[in-house]
Amino acid sequence: MDSLGVLLVAPMNAYLEQELDRRCRLFRLWESPADRRDDYLRAHASSIRAVVPYAPQGVDAAMIDALPSLEIVSSFSVGIDRVDLDACRRRGVRVTNTPDVLTDDVADLAVGLAIAALRKIPQADRYVRAGKWKSKGDFTLTTRFSGKRVGILGLGRIGLAVAKRAEAFDCPISYHSRSEKPFPKYKFYPNVVDLAANCDVLVVACSLNPETRHIVNRKVIDALGPEGVLINIARGAHVDEPELISALLEKRLGGAGLDVFEDEPFAPEQLFELDNVVLVPHVGSDTEETCRAMADLVLQNLEAHALNQPLLTPFSGKRVGIIGLGRIGLAVAKRVEAFDCPVNYYQRTKQDHPGYTYYPSVVELAASSDVLVVACPLNEHTRHIVNREVMEALGPRGVLINIGRGPHVDEAAMVAALLDGRLGGAGLDVFEDEPNVPEALLGMDNVVLVPHVGSATHETRTAMADLVLGNLEAHVAGKPLLTQVV
Amino acid sequence: MAPPATQDGSSSKPIVLLADPLIPEFEQELAPSYRLLPAADADEAAAASARALLTVDLPAVTAAQIDALPALELVVASSAGVDHINLGACRRRGIAVTNAQNAFSADAADYAVGLLVAVLRRVAAADAYVRRGAWAAAAGDYPLASKVSGKRVGIVGLGSIGGLVARRLAAFGCVIAYNSRSPKASAPYKFYPSVRELAAESDVLVLSCALTEETRRMVGREVMEALGKGGVLVNVGRGGLVDEAELVRCLREGVLGGAGLDVYENEPEVPPELWGMDNVVLSDHRAVITPESIQGVVDVVKANLDAFFSGKPLVSQVQL
Repeated sequence: MDSLGVLLVAPMNAYLEQELDRRCRLFRLWESPADRRDDYLRAHASSIRAVVPYAPQGVDAAMIDALPSLEIVSSFSVGIDRVDLDACRRRGVRVTNTPDVLTDDVADLAVGLAIAALRKIPQADRYVRAGKWKSKGDFTLTTRFSGKRVGILGLGRIGLAVAKRAEAFDCPISYHSRSEKPFPKYKFYPNVVDLAANCDVLVVACSLNPETRHIVNRKVIDALGPEGVLINIARGAHVDEPELISALLEKRLGGAGLDVFEDEPFAPEQLFELDNVVLVPHVGSDTEETCRAMADLVLQNLEAHALNQPLLTPFSGKRVGIIGLGRIGLAVAKRVEAFDCPVNYYQRTKQDHPGYTYYPSVVELAASSDVLVVACPLNEHTRHIVNREVMEALGPRGVLINIGRGPHVDEAAMVAALLDGRLGGAGLDVFEDEPNVPEALLGMDNVVLVPHVGSATHETRTAMADLVLGNLEAHVAGKPLLTQVV
Repeated sequence: MAPPATQDGSSSKPIVLLADPLIPEFEQELAPSYRLLPAADADEAAAASARALLTVDLPAVTAAQIDALPALELVVASSAGVDHINLGACRRRGIAVTNAQNAFSADAADYAVGLLVAVLRRVAAADAYVRRGAWAAAAGDYPLASKVSGKRVGIVGLGSIGGLVARRLAAFGCVIAYNSRSPKASAPYKFYPSVRELAAESDVLVLSCALTEETRRMVGREVMEALGKGGVLVNVGRGGLVDEAELVRCLREGVLGGAGLDVYENEPEVPPELWGMDNVVLSDHRAVITPESIQGVVDVVKANLDAFFSGKPLVSQVQL
């Protein structure tokens, strides 16, 4: 990728910068003065084909407009809320992120912050360093972490990793998310205030979007209460920061451990004097090991793009979940990859496809996908594999595609979900009682219905006919059958 | 059960001598059943007849003190470790010693994990950095830290605290190994027969064993060199487990990567050389100081005294 012009928006990682410099044509945005950046972009507009942003500094529509040769945005971060995805889609710019690699780090820090905040570890450290142990005696009494009720906002990968760690401290786990997840030992609360009212430590671990902005508001903080502790390792904008500050100052909230803030790098100065908060400068994934892994992913994505190969961790497309990664499922995966859709799948056992994310249950798969494709064989295990619970997990913006067999889907439940708006849409080639199609579907404008024509092309039908003839000929000639089943 | 207090005063309550000052939680729980007398103030009759001695914090209980109490049969400690008591003298006299059993285990294990994360992820230093306004003023980011998940953690002493540390860190994806006097059949972790070998195969060494003649200064230069320049030492056991002067030297010379210390050889003295280091996290022997732990230990102490004075088996007798 020697000829690939890459714009790095800030000095985010020395190894990444060094490798980009070695392997591409690197443009360092920060080397031009802040008020001359537009000129800088204009001067190099025809060369810059890739931009590497990170969490604090993204890519906005103006930058995308200023770079007519831009092909790919490869973000050195998991969250891409500061990348204008709509503008990227409009321009056909591909987007990649660095999922998974930092899950452990962020979860480690979340639990570390909870212990540090409850046990006042940094405060004790300052106390000892100031020589006060000897002159003033023991530092203050603090409360136990083990056994505290931990509430998690968002039970995605990071939320689950936090839950796993907190469980080892005998903490009862509860959570809030858009839909209930298949973890019976964790208690689900359909609303955030109830979750906050029933936990001692509230961990914010959801993604930031218009629905979760300021999800931790005054009501939630008050429900958490004067003994409660808030841990935020997600994004500053999840929390109404002025409300958080006044709750801490007025002792309506017990404490906080914060890695993220609304206006980084400015943490609210009112918090600096409080001894019931622990403040760290957005270091959730800032470990040597993880930054190296993230940098390698950015480089590999850029390389794949330059070589016209499938991206490793595309984000621009919809997340496609495939039930059954057999021949058809794999062929679907290969095709959607070309649309930069991240591929997830469910199968009874995990397959050896490192580029695709495995989910051990269909509900989890549905919860992590925008489009769910049924591509498994029909048998007693897979009948109604897409049931009401799966469709709830897929959600009101999810789309179900069935190219398997009608009975894979609980058709009555699907019709009800579509009617209620609990499922976003469907594309159906097969039905439970063909050639009968549920009448309720006929009037809907968010479904596409075709009469079981999955393989009904001239070419395929001719190939199928040739195979039938070939098998008969082989049988008559006493030769091995071409496609023997029994 | 202890005999109930009678209305005609405290004389019918059994005497419990106090080796050090009471704290309110103990007084509230024990005063109704026992006559609590500071050992230093006890008159001759009380000293001659007292059968039980209680330590609240970690006062030294010397052979001379023990010899001065001819009727003594029981020393009740309020700590997990009983190294502050002259156990040889107790053994010779057939005096039973009880400890805090598991009352502190969860807090001690939590704190060990908290210190470990705080050192590797620089939590305390990062907090200080934000509070002094350095984040807002700085160009670029705070220096990278070291990952917790996946680290090899060696635990010295797989007792009730060490076992809980192991379980907690296993959930962080850490690889656990341990050293103790003998391998534990029930432990699913790799055993190393020496601390040096354990240190050589670990990124972090957590000390959670008792301080005895065998374990005193078990972590010397050789162990710290085996742990190495990326290695971290976490001590929630006793300061005496570590050669502290050598620890300071190893940290200064970069032989050892970092340390999380709640205990010291000569508390409350903390080597001033450590105060300026940002690869260490220090605290004031407070791992187990929570209301939950204090309530737990009060319950264990009372259960031991009640059992003793009613002739029942002790709840948490230490093998001498």
